[in-house]
Amino acid sequence: MFEKTLIPVAHGETSEELRKIGRILKSLGSESICLFHVSDADSFFNGSDMSWLLLLKEAIEELGLSVDVRTGSDHIASSIAEAALREGVDEIYLKAKRHWQLRTILLGSVSRDLLRLADTPVFVHKIRPLLPKEKEGTITRDDLIILYATDFDKASNRPLPYVMQFQGSWCHILHVRGRRADPRSEKRKSSRVKEKLTSLEEELRPYYGRVTSEERIGNPANEVLFVSDQIHADVIVLGRSRPAFLSSPMGDTAEQIVTGSKASIFLVP
Amino acid sequence: MKWTYFRKEAVFLLSSGIILLFIAGGVLQPDLLDAAASTIHSGILNNFSWLYLISAFFFLIFVISLALSKYGTIRLGYDAERPQYTFFGWVAMLFAAGMGIGLLFWGVSEPLVHFLTPPPFLEPLSPESAAFAMRYAFFHWGIHPWAIYTVVSLSIAYFSFRRGMPALISSCFYPVLGDRIYGIPGKIVDVLAVFATVFGTATSLGFGALQIHAGFSHLYGISSAIQVTIGIIVIATALFMASAILGVEKGVQVLSKFNILLAILLLTFILLLGSTPYILNIFSSTLGGYINNVIDLSLQAYPFAGYQWSRDWTVFYWAWWISWSPFVGLFIARISRGRTIREFVLTVLTVPTLFTFIWFSIFGGSALNLQLNKGVDLASVAGEDVSLALFVFFEHYPFAGVLSLIAILLLSIFFVTSADSATVVLGSLTTGGSLAVPLYKKVFWALSLSAVAIVLLMTGGLDALQKMAITAAFPFMIVMIILCYTLWIGLSQEESRDDESE
Repeated sequence: MFEKTLIPVAHGETSEELRKIGRILKSLGSESICLFHVSDADSFFNGSDMSWLLLLKEAIEELGLSVDVRTGSDHIASSIAEAALREGVDEIYLKAKRHWQLRTILLGSVSRDLLRLADTPVFVHKIRPLLPKEKEGTITRDDLIILYATDFDKASNRPLPYVMQFQGSWCHILHVRGRRADPRSEKRKSSRVKEKLTSLEEELRPYYGRVTSEERIGNPANEVLFVSDQIHADVIVLGRSRPAFLSSPMGDTAEQIVTGSKASIFLVP
Repeated sequence: MKWTYFRKEAVFLLSSGIILLFIAGGVLQPDLLDAAASTIHSGILNNFSWLYLISAFFFLIFVISLALSKYGTIRLGYDAERPQYTFFGWVAMLFAAGMGIGLLFWGVSEPLVHFLTPPPFLEPLSPESAAFAMRYAFFHWGIHPWAIYTVVSLSIAYFSFRRGMPALISSCFYPVLGDRIYGIPGKIVDVLAVFATVFGTATSLGFGALQIHAGFSHLYGISSAIQVTIGIIVIATALFMASAILGVEKGVQVLSKFNILLAILLLTFILLLGSTPYILNIFSSTLGGYINNVIDLSLQAYPFAGYQWSRDWTVFYWAWWISWSPFVGLFIARISRGRTIREFVLTVLTVPTLFTFIWFSIFGGSALNLQLNKGVDLASVAGEDVSLALFVFFEHYPFAGVLSLIAILLLSIFFVTSADSATVVLGSLTTGGSLAVPLYKKVFWALSLSAVAIVLLMTGGLDALQKMAITAAFPFMIVMIILCYTLWIGLSQEESRDDESE
């Protein structure tokens, strides 16, 4: 499921950094990488020597991964989203920068557009899991803590196969919802949610050393971020529903989580 | 054991404690109480008068939106339930709740006072002032008060009849507070409702007592000393306390219906014996002006001219309606079980409003007719004593003495029926929403209502009544804004209720 990954690259990307990324993707099951560069017509670097891309390609190939190099033009986020579909990749990899206090800005408008536009799952790599250092092997799945946020609707059921694929040491399933309007409905709803969570736990048990679940009431973005910090999640897996016309400027749930989280995000459209 | 009792009776103990402190303060240190009330009141007005205007307008938009939305077809009760009362019976009871001491007190006086003292940008006693006066009388008694009542009554009706919760304001907070409605946050919400009801009702009782006193003074030359007003309150208290204790609900209902008939009779008499075409013209033009300007009126604070005018009148009225809303809201909710939200909202907003428009056109319009066309200086009378204007107005009609006595009778019955209902509602609010209110609570609330009215009259008269209504309404206005949100949450979950019940 994570066999082929598209990594958008820009001028200034170092071979060393790409090697680290390649290593972590390989540990998650990637076998093939598509390096994709979008030439911006207004960019200072436009039309310059593209040999730097070949250097990046070689750096990843050293890890035993097969690499394709592709380029595109026009609107950056749309080009990446289209290329991901065209190349038939399983995911798009985005790395957030390390100036965490300013991460909203540094996630960049391109990344944010891509999160909204992409029809392919997007893996936004943040602080956790830590990238392996140059000579320190790879991330082992035995260390991975996955937080699967779901409200049992269509959008949040789509990531389930990916959650299974991630595997790891611990999968915590989080269901967030609003409180029902009266105690009787609340009790009924709660017991139905518990039933569903238990059955989901059973479904995921073969893939993880430990599977737990919890139900919370409140603002979905806030609760997901809170629980993610509590359990030191490495990756938050969640679905993305098409935002309503007016919700995007205010920031929809997925965007708020991507912006506020220290854990990496695997967002399934 | 004591802790269990405290938890069970927390709302009663807390609210009665606050009210007793207020009464004690009024008796022992009236000046201090007046100073404290004035400070809070001016603080609220200086900083939040705009919020009263915006909130009332928001409540109106909110309830109309609900009625016209897909939620309009939701029934206030279970789906198979049908209304308990016939449409006409229901509408008559809405009149009873909406009509009352206030209409009698202000029906003649308000247009006259606006006519005499309009905002600075209008010339007093001019035709423009007359049109302005009538339009504002319509506005203050029009669709907005009913929108305020509707927010509370709709919330209570929805959460208690459809969601099976106790008829308490705190029940409506379940979507945001969850089980904390049974804890301190829920108790605070109910205490605020009690607090608003006590001061809202006491304000009305104060108005009623002042006007009954003015009527007797005018008719029989009785002393105008405050002790007489207090005596009137004491006698009325004995009557409504007896009625509340004996539980003569049927008697009160009969009395209410009799009062409505009497009010309609009085209205018809004034219409037919006055200048009927003139009154009908006033009705038509004021209605047009009101409809044409309702948005401007709703949000107009006159910040560049007559700032104080809007605070003295519109803000006071909105606060008064808000402080009445737990009481009237509970009553309207109780009689509206089985109706759909659309039917409920559209009827509550239009029918009583139309009736009050007619009332103001007949009483206010006739008074302005006397003033403008017959050379009777009623405006000065109203300017000096608003409670007296009605009786001086009757002097220009045949059987003036009988009319004044009818008005006093109407006021007295409204006084007793309103106070009786308020006592029962306060008892219910402090007994977990139950209608089986213990005797001691009924006695306590009956005495408290009167004591608060007396304290307010003694500390500052009409001005003190208005100040306390505004002050007590402020926290409940915040409660009402949250009520809109919780009601919306509840309604938005309607579609998934079938799913939950599987």
